[in-house]
Amino acid sequence: MLKFVIRRLLSTFPMVLLVVTLTWGLIRLAPGNFYTGERVIAPAIEKNLRAKYGFDKPWYVQYAKLMSNIVRGDFGTSLKYEGQSVNEILRRTLPVSMTIGLLAYILALSIGIAAGTLAAVRQNSRVDYASMTLAMLGISLPNFVLGPLLVLLFSLVMYWFPPARWDGFPSRSVVLPVITLSAIYTAYVARLTRSGMLEVLRADYIRTARAKGLDEKTIVRRHAMRGGLLPVISFSGPALAFLVTGTVVVERIFALPGMGNYFINANLNRDEPLIIGIVAFTSIAILLFNLLVDIAYAFVDPRIRY
Amino acid sequence: MSAIPIEVLAGTSLWRNAWHRLLRNRLAVLGMILVGAMVVACAAGPGIIYRATGYTYDFIPKDSGLVKSFPPSLTHPMGTDIAGRDLLARVLLGGRISLMVGIIATFVSLIIGITYGATAGYLGGKIDEAMMRAVDVLYSIPYMMIVIVLLSLFGSRSPLNQLFLLFLALGAVSWLTMSRIVRGQVISLKNQEFVLAARATGVSRRKIIFRHLMPNVLGPVIVYATLTIPNVMLQEAFLSFLGLGVQAPLASWGSLAAEGIRNIAVFPWQLIFPGVTMAVTLFSLNFLGDGLRDALDPQTRKM
Amino acid sequence: MRPIILVFCVLALTSCAASSADSGFFGTTDPPAGQVLRYISGSEPESIDPAIPSGQPEARVIMSMFEGLTEYDPRTMGPIPAIAESWENNADFTEFTFHLRKNARFSNGDPITASDVVYSLRRGLNPETAARNAYLAYYILYAQGYNEAGVFARDTSTGEFVMDGKFRKVFSEKEARALKGKEPVPIKAEDIGVAAIDDTTVKLSLVQSAPFMVALLPHQFFRVVPRKAIEKYGNDHWTRAENIVTSGAFMVKERVPYDKLVVVRNPMYWDAANVKLDEIRFYPLEEETTMMNLYKAGAVDATYNHTVPNAWLDFMMDKKDYMGAREMVNEYYQINTLKRPMNDPRVRKAFNLAIDKESLAKYQHVKPLTAFVPQGIFPGYPAHSEDLFDVARANDLLEEAGYKDRSKFPVNEVELTYNTSERNRQIAEFVQAQWKQNLGITIPLKNMEFKTFLTTRASLDYKGFARSGWIGDFVDPVSYLNIFYTPRGDNGTGWWDSRFVAVIDEANRTLDHQARLNKLFEAEKMLLESQAVIPLIQQSTNWLKKPYVKGMYPNSGTMHAWKFVYIEHDPSKWDYGVPEM
Repeated sequence: MLKFVIRRLLSTFPMVLLVVTLTWGLIRLAPGNFYTGERVIAPAIEKNLRAKYGFDKPWYVQYAKLMSNIVRGDFGTSLKYEGQSVNEILRRTLPVSMTIGLLAYILALSIGIAAGTLAAVRQNSRVDYASMTLAMLGISLPNFVLGPLLVLLFSLVMYWFPPARWDGFPSRSVVLPVITLSAIYTAYVARLTRSGMLEVLRADYIRTARAKGLDEKTIVRRHAMRGGLLPVISFSGPALAFLVTGTVVVERIFALPGMGNYFINANLNRDEPLIIGIVAFTSIAILLFNLLVDIAYAFVDPRIRY
Repeated sequence: MSAIPIEVLAGTSLWRNAWHRLLRNRLAVLGMILVGAMVVACAAGPGIIYRATGYTYDFIPKDSGLVKSFPPSLTHPMGTDIAGRDLLARVLLGGRISLMVGIIATFVSLIIGITYGATAGYLGGKIDEAMMRAVDVLYSIPYMMIVIVLLSLFGSRSPLNQLFLLFLALGAVSWLTMSRIVRGQVISLKNQEFVLAARATGVSRRKIIFRHLMPNVLGPVIVYATLTIPNVMLQEAFLSFLGLGVQAPLASWGSLAAEGIRNIAVFPWQLIFPGVTMAVTLFSLNFLGDGLRDALDPQTRKM
Repeated sequence: MRPIILVFCVLALTSCAASSADSGFFGTTDPPAGQVLRYISGSEPESIDPAIPSGQPEARVIMSMFEGLTEYDPRTMGPIPAIAESWENNADFTEFTFHLRKNARFSNGDPITASDVVYSLRRGLNPETAARNAYLAYYILYAQGYNEAGVFARDTSTGEFVMDGKFRKVFSEKEARALKGKEPVPIKAEDIGVAAIDDTTVKLSLVQSAPFMVALLPHQFFRVVPRKAIEKYGNDHWTRAENIVTSGAFMVKERVPYDKLVVVRNPMYWDAANVKLDEIRFYPLEEETTMMNLYKAGAVDATYNHTVPNAWLDFMMDKKDYMGAREMVNEYYQINTLKRPMNDPRVRKAFNLAIDKESLAKYQHVKPLTAFVPQGIFPGYPAHSEDLFDVARANDLLEEAGYKDRSKFPVNEVELTYNTSERNRQIAEFVQAQWKQNLGITIPLKNMEFKTFLTTRASLDYKGFARSGWIGDFVDPVSYLNIFYTPRGDNGTGWWDSRFVAVIDEANRTLDHQARLNKLFEAEKMLLESQAVIPLIQQSTNWLKKPYVKGMYPNSGTMHAWKFVYIEHDPSKWDYGVPEM
C-alpha cells in the first residue's frame, strides 16, 4: 500500500508536465494572440509586444524556458494582467474557490449520502420518492438558473443575503453560492448512493448478516455503507477537484474573485502563463484526489488490493 | 463445452424478462410514454405549427410593433421571445437539438466509458494504472481550449458540420467519469465468487468482462447515464457560449433557459416554458432509467 | 410533479416582486453615508498603467488616478483644462503650446512639471513599453518612427539627413542600410516632437495638421505618469498599491483584482479643495444580471455603459435612473469585398437596402445608423440621408447582378459572422430574417469566440459579412474614418481607395472647421458608396445611476471626470431623470 502511494505520488510530477505540454500545444494551435484586439495593431507594435514577453524566440527555447520555470515552481507573469505573477493570482484566488468548493462538497456529501441511503433502505416508500424527486430537481435546475432564482428570492425579495460579491468567510455572502454550487452534486451523490446501496443490500454477505440476526441499522452502517458508496467515491474525486479549483458559472453569477473566473478569461484572452498555471494546479488536484479515491477504495472494500 | 448453449439461452431471456419487468413498473411506463410523446412533438411539432399558423422558430415579424416579447396568448401558447418569435416553435425545435445531443453524447459516453473502465478495472495492475492516468490527463487539459482549437481547425472551412463537432466535443469529456465509475465497480466485483468460478472454468477474459461483469455494473451505469443526459444538455449551453454550440437562430433547451433566466424579472414565461418542458423530459428519462436499472438488475432477477 | 409546482410558486413570487409598486426608480434609493461612490466598472482592468490598456473600462478607472494636459468635459466630452491651464496652436494646427499650472503635484507631493509631461509621452512611445495605443500619438513628429524602431538616413560624406519635405525621412533599418552612401541613425526619444520649453511650458510639434489634437489628449495614453516611481519599481511593479504614485484627483488605497479597486481623495491634487468624493470603489463585474441585482439592492450606485440587458429596456427605459443617450459607437457589418458574390457592389448594395434599419433600431431600443460616422454627436457634421430601406430597388440590383433566379445565388459562399454576445446574436438574427423575407436569401449565421473571430476578420478569412463596431478614440469624425485610412489597406474588407486617403489628408489640412467637416463628409460618402460596410445602428449609452449621484452625465463616451461627482443627501436636489446636459 505504502509503495503504491509513493509510486503514485512520484508519477504525479511527470504527469503534470505532460498535461502542461499538451495544454501549451493547444494554446499555440488556437487562433489569436494575447494582444489580438478590435483594432489590428501595427506590425512594429506587435513586434515590440512579442519581444517584451519573449515570444520572438524559437518555440523550443520558449518551451524549455517554460519547463525550467515550472520545475522551479514559477509560472511566470500574466500576459493580460500587467505585472501580476501567476503564483500571486493563484495564492489570492485559491482560498476563495476552495472555501466555496469545500463547503459545497461537504454539504453535498452529507445530505446526498443521508438521503440516498434512506431512499435505498426504504425503497419505493414515500421517503424514497420524495428524496429522489428532490434530487431530480437539483439536476434539472441548472446552476445558472438556480443561482439567479435564489438571488431573486433571498436577496431581492427577502433581503436575507447579499445578491453578489465576496465578503470573506464566514459571512452571509457565502451562503447562496454554496447552495447553488452544491445542488447538483448533492443530487448526484444521492442518486449514486441509492443505486449503490440497493446493489449491496441484496448481496450475499448482507443476507448473511441479516440471517445472523443483526439489526438493520448495524447492517447498513457497518456492512452496506462500505460497498454501497463505491460509485460515490469514484465520482467524488474529480468532483472535489473541480469544486475547489473554481466553478465558472457560480463565480460569475455571484461575482466571486475565484479561480474559475480567472480561468475562463485566461482562455478567452490566450493568457498562456495563467492558463498553464491554473491547469497545472488543477491537474495536481485531480491526480491527488484520485489517489485519495483509490486509497479509499482499499479501505472501504477490503477485497481490493494494490 | 456445454457453457455455450447455456449462455445463449440466458442471453435471450435476460432481455425479454427485463422488458416484462419494465412494463410492470408504472412510473417507468409513464416516463417512457412522456419521453415518446416529447420525441414525437419535437419531431413533428414545428412542421404542424408552421402549417397551422405560419410561425417558425426563426420568423421575426415584419411589423416592428410585434418585435417584442408577448405573454402567452391563443396565437402564441407559450408567448414570444424578445424578437417576437413564437416560443412554442422554438421550444419544440430546441427539444430536437437537446434530445439529440443528450442521447447521442450519453450513448457515446456509455460505449467508451464502459469498455474503457471495465478493461482497466479487470486487467488491473500496470495497465489499469496507465489507463487511469490517461483519464486524469484528459480531465486536466482545459476543455475550453480543446473546443476552441477543434473549432479553428475544423470549424471554418471543412465540410464537417457544426453538429458533428458538437458531438465530438461533448463525447470527448462525458465518458471520463463514467469510465472511473465502471472501473471502481469492476474492481470490487472481479474477486467475487461467480467471476472466480468463470475464470477457473477457463472462460476467456473478453467473455468475463462482457458477459459476467458488465450486467452487474449496469445499475450504477444506468443511473450515471441518466445523470449524464442533463449534464450534456447543459454543457451544450456552455459550448454555445463559446460559439461551438448550435448556431443561431437555432436554439436548444439550455440556451433558451439561459436566455429565460436573464429575463425572468421582466418576461417570466421565457423561463417557465422551456424550463418546465426540459424538467418534465428529464424527470421522465429518469423514471425510465430507474425502471431499466431495476429491470436489468441481475440480483432482482434471482428473486 | 410537486417540484414543478414549487418552481411555479417561486416564479410567481419573484415576478410579483418585480412588478410591485415603485417610485419610478429601479430598486432602492437610499444614499450611502458620506461621500463614497460604488461604481461597477466592467471587466477587470488589464492594468492601471495609463500607457498599457486600450479598453474603456480601464480608461474610466485610470481617469480617477491620472490626469493629462486636458480632461473630458463631463457633459460634452470636449477637452477642458487639467494639468494644462491654457494652450494655443499655430495657424495650421501643427504646433501646440501648453501652459501648465504651477501648483500641479503628484500624490507624493512632487511637482508635475513640463519634463514629466515629456517623459510620459516618450515612455508611452518607447518600443519597450509596447503600448497598443501608441498609434494615437503618431500625429506627433517622429513618434511613429521612434515607436517602430525606425531610423533616419545620414549621408556619410556631407552629414546631411535624407529629407521628406521639411522633416527627416524615416526608414526601417533595412531600408536605410540599402541606401548607398548613407548610414542609419536610430531615432531617439529626444527626436520626438515634444519639448519642455521651461518648467511649465510644453510644446508639441506634429507631422501633419491635426485640429483635433487637444481633444485627443484626455485619452489615457497621454496622461501623466510618475517618472521616479516607474524608474524605481519598473514597468511591471510601479502600479502596485504599495508603490503607485498618481497625478489625478484620487490615489489607490486597495486593489484586489476581480474584486475591487478602492481609490481615495488625493490631498496633493491641485484642485483637491473642489474634489467632493472621499472614496470611489470600482467593482469589476461582467454579468449583466448580477450588476442589475447589485444595483437594485442598493449595493452599487452607478454602472458603466451597456449594462442594462436589452430585453429589459422596454421596462427600464421609463425608469428615472436610466441614462440613455446617443453614444459615439457605430455598429456595422463589414464585407469581404474580395470574394464572389460580394465583390459585386450591386450585390452589396442590395443587401444593405434590404434591411429595415428603423425596425432594427426599434427592436434594439437605439437609433438607426444610415451613415458610417455616428450621428448627432459632432456639431456641424452633415447628416447622410440617402441610405434608405428599399426592397424593390434591392431586388432590382440583385437581378442586375444576375441573380434573378435566387437559386443561382451562391449561399454557401456567404456567411454572417459575429463574435459571441447576446446583442450581436439578436442583431444577426434580425438581419438574417430581413434578408430572408425581403430578398429570399437565407444567409447562414456563424458565431465565433472573440479572439478566433478577430483573427478571422483581420485576415479576411470570412465569407460575406462580419460584425464590427467602433468606439471613437476622441470626439471627432476622423476617429471613425481612420479605420479605412490605412496605408496598407488592412482594414478587413479588402476595399481601399487612394482617393479616400487623399481626401482625409486634405480635410486635416483644412483650417476652417466647417470646411474640414465637409471634406470629411466627402470621404465618408466615398466609403458608403463603395458599400464595403453596412451601417446598422448607433448604440445608446444605456446605464444606470441612483438619483443621489450628481455630476455624472450620459455623455457620448460614458467618461466621467470623477472630481465633479458627488453624493447628494438632500432628496430635493436629486436627479429625477436624465440630468440637464
